[in-house]
Amino acid sequence: MVPEALWKWAQIKGVTVVGTGDFTHPAWLKELSEKTEPAGDGLLKLKKEFEANDVPSSCSANVFFMLSSEISTIYRKNGKTRKVHSIIFVPRVADALHLNLALSKIGNLNADGRPILGLDAKELLRIVLDVCPGALFVPAHAWTPHFSVFGAVSGFDSLEECFEDLTPHINAIETGLSSDPSMNWRLSALDRLTLISNSDAHSPAKMGREANILDTDISFEAITHAVSTGQGFLGTIEFFPEEGKYHYDGHRACGVNLTPDETIRQGYLCPVCGRKVTVGVLHRVNRLADRACGFRPDGAKPFYSLIPLPEVLAETLGTGGASKRVDAEYRRLIHQLGNELRILMDAPLNDIERAGSPLIREAISRIRKGEVHIVPGFDGEYGKIKIFETRERKQLKGQATLF
Amino acid sequence: MTDIETRILAGLNESQREAVTAIDGPLMVIAGPGTGKTLTIVRRIAYLVHRGAHPGSILAVTFTNRAAQEMRGRTGAFLGKAAGGVFIGTFHMLGLAIIRDNKPGDLTVCTREEQVKLLKTVLDDPGRKAEEAADSMSRFKNLLEDGNEKMRALYDRYQAALRSKDLLDLDDLILTPMEMLSDHALLQRYRDRFRHIIVDEYQDINPAQYRFLRLLAGDGGNICVVGDADQAIYAFRGADVTNFLNFEKDLPGARRITLSHNYRSTAVIVNASDAIIEKNAQRIERTLSPVKKGGVPITIASVPDERAEGEFIVSEIEARIGGTSHYRLMNARSGDLGPDATFAFSDFTVIFRTNAQAEALGEVFRTSGIPYQIIGGRYQGKRKDIAEIADRIREYAAGDGVTTLTGTARSHSCIMEVLEGLAAGGKDPFYLSLYDLMRFHIAEGNIRTIDDCLNMLSLLTPLDDFDALADCVTLTTLHGAKGLEFRVVFITGAEDGLIPYSLRDGQDDREEERRLFYVGMTRAKEELFLLHARSRALYGRNTAPLLSSFVRDIPEVFTRTVALKDRARKRHKKQMKLF
Repeated sequence: MVPEALWKWAQIKGVTVVGTGDFTHPAWLKELSEKTEPAGDGLLKLKKEFEANDVPSSCSANVFFMLSSEISTIYRKNGKTRKVHSIIFVPRVADALHLNLALSKIGNLNADGRPILGLDAKELLRIVLDVCPGALFVPAHAWTPHFSVFGAVSGFDSLEECFEDLTPHINAIETGLSSDPSMNWRLSALDRLTLISNSDAHSPAKMGREANILDTDISFEAITHAVSTGQGFLGTIEFFPEEGKYHYDGHRACGVNLTPDETIRQGYLCPVCGRKVTVGVLHRVNRLADRACGFRPDGAKPFYSLIPLPEVLAETLGTGGASKRVDAEYRRLIHQLGNELRILMDAPLNDIERAGSPLIREAISRIRKGEVHIVPGFDGEYGKIKIFETRERKQLKGQATLF
Repeated sequence: MTDIETRILAGLNESQREAVTAIDGPLMVIAGPGTGKTLTIVRRIAYLVHRGAHPGSILAVTFTNRAAQEMRGRTGAFLGKAAGGVFIGTFHMLGLAIIRDNKPGDLTVCTREEQVKLLKTVLDDPGRKAEEAADSMSRFKNLLEDGNEKMRALYDRYQAALRSKDLLDLDDLILTPMEMLSDHALLQRYRDRFRHIIVDEYQDINPAQYRFLRLLAGDGGNICVVGDADQAIYAFRGADVTNFLNFEKDLPGARRITLSHNYRSTAVIVNASDAIIEKNAQRIERTLSPVKKGGVPITIASVPDERAEGEFIVSEIEARIGGTSHYRLMNARSGDLGPDATFAFSDFTVIFRTNAQAEALGEVFRTSGIPYQIIGGRYQGKRKDIAEIADRIREYAAGDGVTTLTGTARSHSCIMEVLEGLAAGGKDPFYLSLYDLMRFHIAEGNIRTIDDCLNMLSLLTPLDDFDALADCVTLTTLHGAKGLEFRVVFITGAEDGLIPYSLRDGQDDREEERRLFYVGMTRAKEELFLLHARSRALYGRNTAPLLSSFVRDIPEVFTRTVALKDRARKRHKKQMKLF
């Protein structure tokens, strides 16, 4: 990964402000500080000399970087092993350096972009606030079973249990791929928080699978203020939660996929091998929720569930997501219609049909209406999406050739 | 019994109670591993105060600053304010306090580097001779060597050079107070002051410290020594187990109490380690009964080489923590532990015989991302840093005219400015920790002057590197593991040559090595792993060591054996033949 790739793909995807990730990694931070410059107002921008000219003009836009990093804390609290991931945003390279210095006393920052610290998440928050009072601290993918603040395996039942007197400094949580805002609305304890959505991108082409929609100035302070208060925070772009790796419960090794109710009936044991099943996000939400399904609190922000365009194309073409045909089609659409988020959310369906095909038009229309079939993910296995039944696709294809 | 007494004696077993309440006359407490030694000492201090002893009349000597800190913390928690008057510290801190009380003016404790520098001028030889001279001066001062005429001559010149610069070396912190106490009136004053003396880790004190102690205690005074001859592991530093064995001879009428219940380890670990230490001839017979029954067997793991050794340990830790990342979780051998897991990184330690083994282990941990710290490992490096920092502070103070050291506030700002500069500019987290440490000491009132700070720096011992706040896996030598305990212990290099150590000439004290291994084993509360690499590169040589003879002494009922296969070599594909 290089900053140039982030810059390029942010434009193709339609992301204006992109988290750098991994600022705790000394080598990455060094590269960032060499290739970017302050854009003023606590964000960074790529230096002119590193801007390549391979971005389609239809997507060309300004891109800003926000220094971010995810940290894994593994520790014991109240007699249990806890593993909580948190995301930290800071305004300046100097803040990142300062924080790294403080954290290097505690753990090894060089091994991984997401360092592991044997530190109470609350103490991490305290250190972050000490070192950089303006920083934004957000519990990451708050519901994943193994590595999150509410995780079934090694998380807590409430933010207070984790952060105690520092809880007021937590103003947002990341919903993660396997949950969406409507699931989080079922916990009244979360009403005061902004539900944000980010997607870490291990490869730049996966950027923007989830994102936040803001109407603010483009500055660190304005963005963190919007995230902390909800003012100017318009909503989020989400995965269909069923597509996430831990939506349902189950046991991957045995291929057993269970709904929360089935899990309870099975006594939390895998019906094939008898080992404990991994309890997923939906189950965990059910457990902690104090409201019924479908409750929508006042002032809740809207959200838009999307399927990444390459997956949509793969299904319409009947190939795998990484195929050459998908790649070619993707490029063509981007060139003609603009960035991916625009295509998925805003582009007129007629334009999509003209640039693509009636089948793609229908697929995107269905996504916008939420009419997709998904086999939910479980125990680390992504969910499987189906926009069309096989028969349907043939039918629709046939129609297309008639006219 | 009064309420206070009940509280002091609460939760103690019979022998602990005896050790707490036997406050008249000399006492020797034999405290095997996990027998509640610190608890007993803390309660004894409380009992003394309860029985009317002035807190200031109690002197508790510990082996390391770390131990002193723990004891101070626990005594404070139990006694509250009254604990403040009790002197709890190392021999060196005690010596420094006596010197400071009686010798007005400035003095500075020099570091080993400064000592060597000075000896280079004294000897007029810039080479390595000064290093050797520093060693022999230390042996001479610790009464380990009588010394010939030449040595005494060097000693005189060396001491004169130290004095001319108002310097003391570390050994002077014992020697100088002893000289001072040859003044009878002064000695009497200290004997009147320290009416109750408690010495922790008594088995490890050296002859000079022993004499210092005898001097302070007088004959038949209220001296209580606590220790375990089976854990004497500092013969190379002049600590002598016979000191301990001779206590009763030197102080007739001394009482002996043996703490006999081990609260730390499972029965398997207690019995297995007993079976080993019983083979030593030089010891005081004692039995240790485990309070925790049963336990999982000790794992003897045979691995192909030192890298596999580290990887085995990392995977065992991950199996207990339940995976440290999604990637590892998906590849874990034993899967996830589920919500019942209770481990944290600080529950694990990896123990080795020599610092040379730390590198390969550290490398495996570095790539794994598991937080770890090596204690005592970077001693040389740190010592050098400390010498440089001391120099800087001195220069800075001289430039600022603070050398006369009257203004406390000015001294503080001078110290903090130097350290802050280092902490901000340096990439080494060490400076930052040092900065924090000094800030702590200033806040606590332990540092008033520049000299206090310099002395504090000199007193930092390698065993004090341990940071109790950082939750991480501890990598340490067997020596550094003394006094610590962990739920899971991995002893690496359980091989002949390393355990017992016999790779260098003139170091083959089998009994001492056995005690060292015993100390390592008895650190474990729940699980113990003994690792044997079938091939090991050490000191630039490839060896094929055998399983340690000490390990072979463990009765089989207490062990289980795991053998990891050799790494698969790239097989030459056999050419397919048509016929």
